[in-house]
Amino acid sequence: MVFLGGQVLPGNVGRAILGPFADQRAVDALNHSLGVDRPLLVQYGTWIWNFLHGDMGTSYIFRAPVAPFVIDALGNSMKLALVAFVLVVPIGILGGVIAALNLNRPLDRIISLGGLSVTVLPEFVTGIILILIFGVWLRWLPIAAAWPKGAGFFTQLYYLILPSLPLFLVLFGYIARMARSGMIEALDSDYTRTAVLKGLPWRTVIWRHVLRNALLPTITVIATQTGYLIGGLVVIETLFRYQGIGSLIFTAARGKDFPMLEAGILTIGIVYAVATLVADFLYSVLNPRIRLGREQ
Amino acid sequence: MSKNYRILDLLRRGRTPLENHLIDGLIDGRISRREFVRHGSLLGLSLPLLGRIGMAAGFGAAPSLARAAGAAGGTIRVGSSVPAAAIDPVTIADAGGLVVMQQVAEFLCVDGPDLVLKPALAESWKPNADGTVWTFTLRKGVKFHSGGEMKADDVVASIDRLADPANSSNALSVFTGILQKGNTKKVDDYTVEFHLDAPNGNFPYMVSSDNYNAVIIPASYKGGYEQSFDGTGPFKLEKYTPKVGASFVRNDDYWGDKALPDRTEFTFFTDIQPQILALQGGQIDIINQMPVLAGVGLLNDPNVDIISLKSVAHQQLHMQCDADPFKDPRVRRAIALSIDRKKLVAGLMKGRAQEGNDSPFASVYPSTDPSVPQREQDIAQAKQLMEAAGAGKGFKVTLTTERYLEIPEYAQLIQNWVKEIGIELELNILDQGAYYGDAVFGKSNWLDSVMGITDYGHRGVPNVYLAAPLKSDGTWNAAHFKNKDYDQLATSYIAALDLEAQKATAGKIQKLLLEETPVIFGYFYDYLTATAKGVTGVQPTAMSQLFLDKASKA
Repeated sequence: MVFLGGQVLPGNVGRAILGPFADQRAVDALNHSLGVDRPLLVQYGTWIWNFLHGDMGTSYIFRAPVAPFVIDALGNSMKLALVAFVLVVPIGILGGVIAALNLNRPLDRIISLGGLSVTVLPEFVTGIILILIFGVWLRWLPIAAAWPKGAGFFTQLYYLILPSLPLFLVLFGYIARMARSGMIEALDSDYTRTAVLKGLPWRTVIWRHVLRNALLPTITVIATQTGYLIGGLVVIETLFRYQGIGSLIFTAARGKDFPMLEAGILTIGIVYAVATLVADFLYSVLNPRIRLGREQ
Repeated sequence: MSKNYRILDLLRRGRTPLENHLIDGLIDGRISRREFVRHGSLLGLSLPLLGRIGMAAGFGAAPSLARAAGAAGGTIRVGSSVPAAAIDPVTIADAGGLVVMQQVAEFLCVDGPDLVLKPALAESWKPNADGTVWTFTLRKGVKFHSGGEMKADDVVASIDRLADPANSSNALSVFTGILQKGNTKKVDDYTVEFHLDAPNGNFPYMVSSDNYNAVIIPASYKGGYEQSFDGTGPFKLEKYTPKVGASFVRNDDYWGDKALPDRTEFTFFTDIQPQILALQGGQIDIINQMPVLAGVGLLNDPNVDIISLKSVAHQQLHMQCDADPFKDPRVRRAIALSIDRKKLVAGLMKGRAQEGNDSPFASVYPSTDPSVPQREQDIAQAKQLMEAAGAGKGFKVTLTTERYLEIPEYAQLIQNWVKEIGIELELNILDQGAYYGDAVFGKSNWLDSVMGITDYGHRGVPNVYLAAPLKSDGTWNAAHFKNKDYDQLATSYIAALDLEAQKATAGKIQKLLLEETPVIFGYFYDYLTATAKGVTGVQPTAMSQLFLDKASKA
């Protein structure tokens, strides 16, 4: 699909490398030496064959093996996603729960409205504002997310705080809202009333009965956002000069660097699949009703 | 100051007729001192000699090009754009890549910020009588980082490699019709001759930093430049990480003055905004290239210095001369007359540009004929021309262009101006890749659009602009402009060795292009480099090269 889609894009690899003002003979020579003047099926066949043998191919643009680029970028993306994830999931859920428990009181309004307002702000807006505040005025946090070579865990974490904040803002409202509506529904339900009426302490009711049910839709939302957190951060990666897989794919597509593009997209596909699988497992842990294949 | 003819006579001795003619021009006041220095350097006269002649002719000492030396040591940190592809002298085409390459590798001569050629790996150069053979004398004792001495073989191999059509060479568009493979000849270890296809008065620019591919690397080079980063420059590569950055250390075996900084560090950015923030946040010292629109906030920032180079970079607005509604030159002239160039310079470009006069002859070129009047906005005349061309009722046409720098804003301004003469412009603004397409006729929005705006980078001489986009057989002739008189004039301009002959031909070309107006040259914009306060000795070029050997930080 990607291979075919890419062919529809205007331009060719040689042109992309040499620029519009290069001599046509030079472009032809380069295309020939890269092998992109061969028929499409041959190119695709060669690529699939090599991929199945564990060779991700050689980048047309960088003329170096693709694998280290993709692995580095994926590693970076996962680190950033993880920091954002660790920040936003507990705080988001907590925010939603607090809002639901204070339904229609000022605290609920603040969390719901505030969360929603920052969610609709695109990350390049919040990103620039945060950079201006923390990087340029206060100078508390580094502006670029790329840490110095050989930096330890905490240094890396320190560099990742600023770029993960806009992600936090984008996702917080979303997750809090899902958690809030799940909670409201669960609090309203018959089993909660039953639990309260049978005299269980309030804390136990919330932990054992309400939260478990309330969080199911939230988990689905979080799982679908994992893919975004890892592969969809082109803007954040550009703004904070971070070498993630989103910008890797973006530049590969622009340069018609198919080996890089294919490898990047396959990797993101795998990440999506794994995230969905993990979400399914969590689902079944929280919701015994869908545990399959077990004798009643 | 009076003229000292005794010293002048002494200095004239041994000069060629061409060089003496140039000296005459200076003494008689036909050419200015600035033009004299620039053209003299092109002919291979050394700068000290040019200075002495200037003094003897009563012009006072030439301003020293050297700046007060800053303190040695430290690391200079630069923000620049991400190299778009593997760095290879043969294929390289992007600003991000060529600034990295130019840190380690050097050219025969360098086109300085004042458009004066300065010797680098070549000590001097000289044309034969008709400008078909140029002889370059190489500097002795220049060592490659890998150890060997740079000699004529390396120069021949480096230039031949670029002139070979089988090599995917990006310099082929410069050398086509000028220099063929095999015509760069070694005379001895330190002398090289270039045998050209046709007379060329500006040839040294084609092997200077102006032709950014033309770095001299060892003859044994077989590709894979990123493995060696070999060169002769004042810095050696420390580490290069594609897409991330590069660092360099001082080369203690350098042939010239040793570099002041211990290290330099380049950080690659995909966008200008993060670079501006990084400069303000103190994480980099220099932004190599800053587009004026994006950098407006820095222009008045007291913590930032702006280095502004007069450049010839511009946006060409072409109109297809063989297609309706632009077949009639009066319509093309009417559109050119509707544009307010003063507003373009002052408003769109914040004063960091010069007005264009619808030809490649920017006012900074010494060969430009300043007596040709500048075209100004004149709506009444434009309306008359439209009437006369039978287009008084106006028409609708599409302007196709690319999303790059200030081009979309420029297109909108044009849209408003031509409305006044009854033309309705529809804007079709494309991604750069989509606009250029395959960059050949029939497969490119750039070359096939009835009207379009295309970005052109800086060149130290107008030769490239005169040929490819305007000659009848030009490969970038988006205007489909075919004019035999023009072709002849362009050829004779390119062949002219003598500044006055160049000027005379330039004047004719300027007038012809004002009459025909296949392409509107609205403005030529400056090349801006931003540095943090206290950073000195930084020397950019309008080709986006950056010389850091004299840079220092307070």
